[in-house]
Amino acid sequence: MGAPLELQDPELITEEVVEEDRPWVVIVWNDPINLMSYVAFVFQKVFGYSKEKANKLMMDVHHKGRAVVSSGTRTEAERDVNRLHGHGLWATMEHDE
Amino acid sequence: MVRFRRPKPFEALDDGRFRVKLAPDVRSFLVRLADEIDEIVALDIPETRRLFPTAYPHDPEKDAGYQVLSRDGLIEQRRTAADTVRETADNEVVTEDELAQWMSVINDARLVLGTRLDVSEDDEPDFDDPDIGLYLIYDELGYLLDSIVTAMITVLPDPDDGEDS
Repeated sequence: MGAPLELQDPELITEEVVEEDRPWVVIVWNDPINLMSYVAFVFQKVFGYSKEKANKLMMDVHHKGRAVVSSGTRTEAERDVNRLHGHGLWATMEHDE
Repeated sequence: MVRFRRPKPFEALDDGRFRVKLAPDVRSFLVRLADEIDEIVALDIPETRRLFPTAYPHDPEKDAGYQVLSRDGLIEQRRTAADTVRETADNEVVTEDELAQWMSVINDARLVLGTRLDVSEDDEPDFDDPDIGLYLIYDELGYLLDSIVTAMITVLPDPDDGEDS
């Protein structure tokens, strides 16, 4: 594993102070390349989720096309998205509705 | 008659490391993959697009900021993984971290090849397709990746499993 990225650039988040109160959600999207076993493994490894939770999220991605895998401040969500991108998963983030 | 069997290429050892049982030509092939990833990872070409997904699909401005902050790190991570594969490709035993780097190179190679082949979820080999050679490599990489996952998942802590933390 590479060293974790420093994504907490103050300039990046200053303009978002107001938005910080609203949680961001991290979404993983279904894609035709990543293996199901690998995706569940990454959820366990990156988030420390149980095998059961990781498998459930993976099956949600597979069947529903997407799943919310974590949530938090914009900085936290960006960090999670970045770690998922580092593992080759198709992850995006957006404001919780 | 014989039963089709294939030895497990990766096996978790009691000391937390992993035994690697791969033929020399497979190991050389992994080194070539590492070289290729190293060579193309920083190029802005369609094949590498899947290595740097969009973080903010509805906000190009925020996404540009994310890409600026993350891209170099993601490239660096992949180059480190390629280095590790080159250095450890002939080892009979690798550490968990080294195997994670092998996994990274193999998965990135699948992303690049899968993008090039434009695979879909229910693809099956089409032996009339001129790309069949690449497709079989893609499939084999899937087998290797799944084998690594099977071996490594045994050492991941599972919060539901009290004994394993």
